[in-house]
Amino acid sequence: MKPLVLVIEDDPQIRRFLRATLAAEDYQFYEAVTAAEGIAQAAARQPDLVLLDLGLPDRDGLEVIREIRLWSQMPIVVLSARGQEKDKIAALDLGADDYVAKPFAVGELLARIRAALRRAAPLAQDGIDNVIRFGDVQADFEKRLITVGGHEVHLTPNEYKLLQVLIKYAGRVVTQRQLLNEVWGPQHTEQSQYLRVYVAQLRRKLERDPARPRYLQTEPGVGYRLHVER
Amino acid sequence: MASPIEPLPADEAAVEHAEAKAEENAAPASWREYALAIAIVGAATLISLFLRPYLAATNLAMVYLLGVVAVATRCSRRASVTASLLSVAAFDFFCVPPYLTLQVSEYEYLITFAGMLAVALVISEQTTRIRAQAARAVDRESQTKALYRLSRRLSAQTRVFDSALAAAEVAEEVFGCPVTIFLPVEGRISFRKRTSGQLLISTAEEEIAQQVFDHGRKAGKGMERFTDAAATYMPLKGASRMVGVMAILPGAKGEMLRASQQHLLDLFAYQTALAIERTLSQNAADNARMQMETEEMRSSLLSAVSHDLRTPLASITGAASTLRAQGDKLAPGVRDELLESISEEAMRLSRLVGNLLDMTRLESGMELRRDLYPLEEIVGAALQRLEPQLTGREVAVALPEELPLVNVDDVLLGQVLVNLIENATKYSPPGSALEIAAEAAPGAVVLEVRDRGPGFAEGEEKRLFEKFYRGKSEGVRGAGLGLAICRAIVVAHRGSIEALPRAGGGAIFRIRLPLDARP
Repeated sequence: MKPLVLVIEDDPQIRRFLRATLAAEDYQFYEAVTAAEGIAQAAARQPDLVLLDLGLPDRDGLEVIREIRLWSQMPIVVLSARGQEKDKIAALDLGADDYVAKPFAVGELLARIRAALRRAAPLAQDGIDNVIRFGDVQADFEKRLITVGGHEVHLTPNEYKLLQVLIKYAGRVVTQRQLLNEVWGPQHTEQSQYLRVYVAQLRRKLERDPARPRYLQTEPGVGYRLHVER
Repeated sequence: MASPIEPLPADEAAVEHAEAKAEENAAPASWREYALAIAIVGAATLISLFLRPYLAATNLAMVYLLGVVAVATRCSRRASVTASLLSVAAFDFFCVPPYLTLQVSEYEYLITFAGMLAVALVISEQTTRIRAQAARAVDRESQTKALYRLSRRLSAQTRVFDSALAAAEVAEEVFGCPVTIFLPVEGRISFRKRTSGQLLISTAEEEIAQQVFDHGRKAGKGMERFTDAAATYMPLKGASRMVGVMAILPGAKGEMLRASQQHLLDLFAYQTALAIERTLSQNAADNARMQMETEEMRSSLLSAVSHDLRTPLASITGAASTLRAQGDKLAPGVRDELLESISEEAMRLSRLVGNLLDMTRLESGMELRRDLYPLEEIVGAALQRLEPQLTGREVAVALPEELPLVNVDDVLLGQVLVNLIENATKYSPPGSALEIAAEAAPGAVVLEVRDRGPGFAEGEEKRLFEKFYRGKSEGVRGAGLGLAICRAIVVAHRGSIEALPRAGGGAIFRIRLPLDARP
């Protein structure tokens, strides 16, 4: 069955180009021009994914996320302008799954959409998967064994936990606050320096060149993304 | 009969204490001085009575003269004259036979009396005059000191309000009473624009302050006009205009300024007014210059931007309309080329707009969101963002593991790196290697981006970072904003950036980021 995508975007040119792209990729496509219409459509059509522009004419796009999250966990990918890190973080913390900065290339957008749809697929497959592979890294959570190119690497308990969380959200950007909360607990959400130091250590252990990471990518001002080539 | 109730003047401390008290209660002038005069004359009498059997009467006059000197060095002229007269009388009464009468047995004593009186009066007069001179000298010295302090404080100020604040503070210290300076807002004295936090004067007096401002004459407490006001209002009159009003409130005990202080206050007001006036005209000049620069900036920005915006737009429009009108007649290769140019020009436009927005944000005093970051992470994110431009190029990254964390705004420093690396790819031959290296220096981290391009012409090092300056390299297009943005960001981090020629050809861009700058 074709996945159903709801696009909430007020600019007609961008809608037009999204329509063409999504049709070419075999997605079903619905459009909404305002926040109110978008929320109504989301409720009526129950789409598989929402593409949401943050600058809507009637209401702030952030409110759309808040409202949809009251009753649905459907994936939401936000379209935002570069340099609006605050908005991106706010959108992610409200429950958006990912964002794409305008102007974006089609390839990037489609990758984000695919990643978001994949995550939304029945949890039974993802959640209990005990062996995860990306590149030359293999993580076996049952045996607590991490190998890079077949060689075992030793992770400290915090590094291990951090990797687990990143794998849980693989392909998706995770805010610093979210990571700190899930790895260290809710009382440590402001201590982002620790997080950065741990990410740096993890990179040294997993990446061939930690200054040009293939997997543990930084989203400046927002958080991190575990890039998984499939 | 003068009896020595008061302590003898030998007790200096006691006298000074008494004097200080006399100063404090300036109004009920000097009954203490008269008492002291009487006491000293009494003491002289006691000494004379004691010496009388051994000395001639005329010599006893000397004891009294000493007493007069003692009084004159400490008391007012009137008290000394009183002491002189009393001394002659006491001398006659106790030391000249017949004793205990004012009668005189031998008339030659009249000459003694006359001489004694004359000497005593001259001593009183001279001593008090010398004392007054000394006091004036001390006064003048403290005035000079106070004015010097004022001018030093004022010269350090660059803003009108700070000048007023400094002047009010120094005035409060010097005069020992609350001082507030009111500054005009569009020609009206405003009690809201004042130097002291709490308003000790009722707003009803705003009108008095306004009149003082309008007419440039003192008024208020102790002055001819508005005598019953709570404060004294001094106009702050500079060389050419009124700049404010200074209000002096009575001190803690309600006392007002002495005449000599009044004079000092005039000088204070004048100096303050001149300083404020100077600051005002300095500010006006600065504003005018800034406006001119802004204007110049705006026009050069407009011409540069309009050109840089129009060129890619023209390519996009041209390519798109060609494709639409003649799409099917074009060879597939040509179609691809046109599509490619649309996409490239659009990206260029996007970068330009991004740079313009960054520059605008930086210039309007954007706030840095600093935190401690491993440099590696920022370099990594920049390389990740530039991945499409870097394909087919070797980028050697050399970051020592023990490099300290840097306290930066990660997004902005990332932008610096993106601009530098992008520049390097634009100005160096395709496929040539780039290097990014960092090392710890005392108190700083030094980061370098190196390329093997043509470098830059000598003397260009500084100009490279100017807005809208473009390198002389041919075939490279850009608005000349990238490096200007880099400099603005690095400077906002209190760091420095410079361009250096590279041995063996190419350019090095070196950034120094200080480590000690706390958020």
